[in-house]
Amino acid sequence: MKDLIKRLTETFGPSGSEGPIREVIRKEVEPYVDEIRVDALGNFICFKKGSGGGKKVILDAHMDEIGAIVTHIDENGFLRFANIGGVSPVISLGQRVYFENGTFGVIGCEKLDDIKDLKLEKLYIDIGAASREEASKKVKVGDMAAFFQPAIDLGNRMVAKAMDDRIGCVVVIEVLKRLKQTAHDIYAVFASQEEVGLRGARVAAYGINPDVGIAFDVTGTGDTPKSHTMDVSLGKGAAIKVKDSSLICHPGLRDYLVKLAEENGIPYQMEVLERGGTDSGAIQLTRAGIPAGVISIPSRYIHSPCEMVDLGDVEACVKLCVAACESPLDF
Amino acid sequence: MDVREFLKTASLAHGVSGFEFMDIASVARDAMEGLVDEVQVDVLGNVIGVKYGQGPQPRPKIMLAGHMDEIGLIVTKIEEGGFLKFAPVGGVDQRVLPAHEVIVYGKRPLTGVIGVKPPHLTSPEEARKAHKMEDLFIDTGLPEEEVRNLVRVGDVVTFKRQVSELMGDRFSGKALDDRAGVAVILVCLDELRKYKVDADVYAVATTQEEIGLRGALVSSYGIEPDIGIAIDVCHGETPGVPEWRTASVGKGPALAQGGNIHPKVFAALEKAAKEIGVKVQNEIAPAATGTDAWAIQVTRAGVATGLVSIPLRYMHTSVETLAISDVEDAGRLLARFIASVDAGFVKELKTWI
Repeated sequence: MKDLIKRLTETFGPSGSEGPIREVIRKEVEPYVDEIRVDALGNFICFKKGSGGGKKVILDAHMDEIGAIVTHIDENGFLRFANIGGVSPVISLGQRVYFENGTFGVIGCEKLDDIKDLKLEKLYIDIGAASREEASKKVKVGDMAAFFQPAIDLGNRMVAKAMDDRIGCVVVIEVLKRLKQTAHDIYAVFASQEEVGLRGARVAAYGINPDVGIAFDVTGTGDTPKSHTMDVSLGKGAAIKVKDSSLICHPGLRDYLVKLAEENGIPYQMEVLERGGTDSGAIQLTRAGIPAGVISIPSRYIHSPCEMVDLGDVEACVKLCVAACESPLDF
Repeated sequence: MDVREFLKTASLAHGVSGFEFMDIASVARDAMEGLVDEVQVDVLGNVIGVKYGQGPQPRPKIMLAGHMDEIGLIVTKIEEGGFLKFAPVGGVDQRVLPAHEVIVYGKRPLTGVIGVKPPHLTSPEEARKAHKMEDLFIDTGLPEEEVRNLVRVGDVVTFKRQVSELMGDRFSGKALDDRAGVAVILVCLDELRKYKVDADVYAVATTQEEIGLRGALVSSYGIEPDIGIAIDVCHGETPGVPEWRTASVGKGPALAQGGNIHPKVFAALEKAAKEIGVKVQNEIAPAATGTDAWAIQVTRAGVATGLVSIPLRYMHTSVETLAISDVEDAGRLLARFIASVDAGFVKELKTWI
């Protein structure tokens, strides 16, 4: 699984430019599913037929990542950029980025009189070009860049960029691999454009019109020095979401997941995330409403290039999802 | 239909956004039984009472939306000593939280208090500032072990507040935003018995309005109405608030105008009010009304919407105050409006002006 995490997190795929990550996931899941398709928003949808008598279930993880989009190339070849998703100027300073065509750059900053003036508009990407002409040969306005950081193996924990939400993709891929028998028709949705407003999941859910939707995404923790109050810790198991800014999870499904975790001895924790949303928020509001829940992977330093997860938690999420798929889901 | 009696029950019932099924949904359901032909509950917990009309098929479909959820708190952490940390559900004003009694809905309801440091132990600088929500906590009085046994992260909390019947016909309590809207719908359904009605009426006590109009969004998709009327509260006149941002309490419901409101629906509501001698006030909404009408309007291929508001003081506190007569008048005018809707009117609504 470590190798899969490394490959997925190190692949390029800011929101709307999910081509490369989609191909990596395609190779991984193709042997384990019955049909695959890509929809108009770039969602990668894998269908695994159930043995019958079950429900239509979406297992969602978004494959896009935060990044930058080039807005202007100045005469000296410096690139100005806007954010794709929640990009902090503080975290961006001094980072390396790369484009889909393999061009690298570093983020530099104008002279600031006060560090409080640090905003994204003060930053630029330097790709080493000496002029607009030279830069334009490699990059054009509208091209997207992702943060560049190799994954690190810390033993029981791993650190990488785009762990949000490639770790969710890893969970869903593992479930597809391990799932031997299920009554349910499973639609594994590797969603696009989550970071810019849950857009992929919204249309995927409309198209599939499922009976149940479960999203797998990262959630914050409250276990670091002087952190925000939150009762989720790294290493304490799968987080079963109650609420975030995008949804209040279906109470029946939520309690059903708790029961499954307890029956199967899977470590879990209850999660209330005060800021942030997930694809299930969009799935829940599809058509006349879909019962939706979230199994979260606790993660530190979300939206930085050093997102940290615990492999025991990842394993707990996989086991809980397999248990859910093998259960009648009759909440 | 006794508005006071319903509001007493509904105000005391609990139903934080997303958790309406725990109490208020059954209050709404019970109140609708007998006034409608059938009651349905959808995936998001919206309670939908259907009253079929007598017009020729296809009959006009009118959706009435009053949200039954209330703002509240949710437990985020159990601290050492059994103190509960919490976050808001919906727009909770942190300045009114200290010294509030609350009810924590754990395995069983637990009364708690939001405690603060005494003034004797507070520095003059501290005393000038409002308490921040993240520094506050709930004390149930129980030992930590028992709290951990009874309360779980994600349990919801409401304000403990008896209703007060003030002078005249003023009524005060928690969650009148928007249980008053549900009351208006009940008055309307009761009143409809007096009329011959062409249209099918879908009376919806919606969920999750306070966290993004979510119940109205999915219920209007399911119902697919021709007309959607939201009934919600607007700001009643209050010292220190500019007059143009408020309506008078006790001087009739307010009818909203603006991009969120279909001009012909507004005109028909105004006409209905005039016909039965109900005084109405203006509510000008230049853009989003922040009500269920906003979600309903852009459902499917578009729905003609209206908004009837009950003037209410001290919104999003536990002493929300309104006039009973405004609720009754709103219900009567809605009934008159519904009785006036026929296939011809619905056809006219297919264009904006």
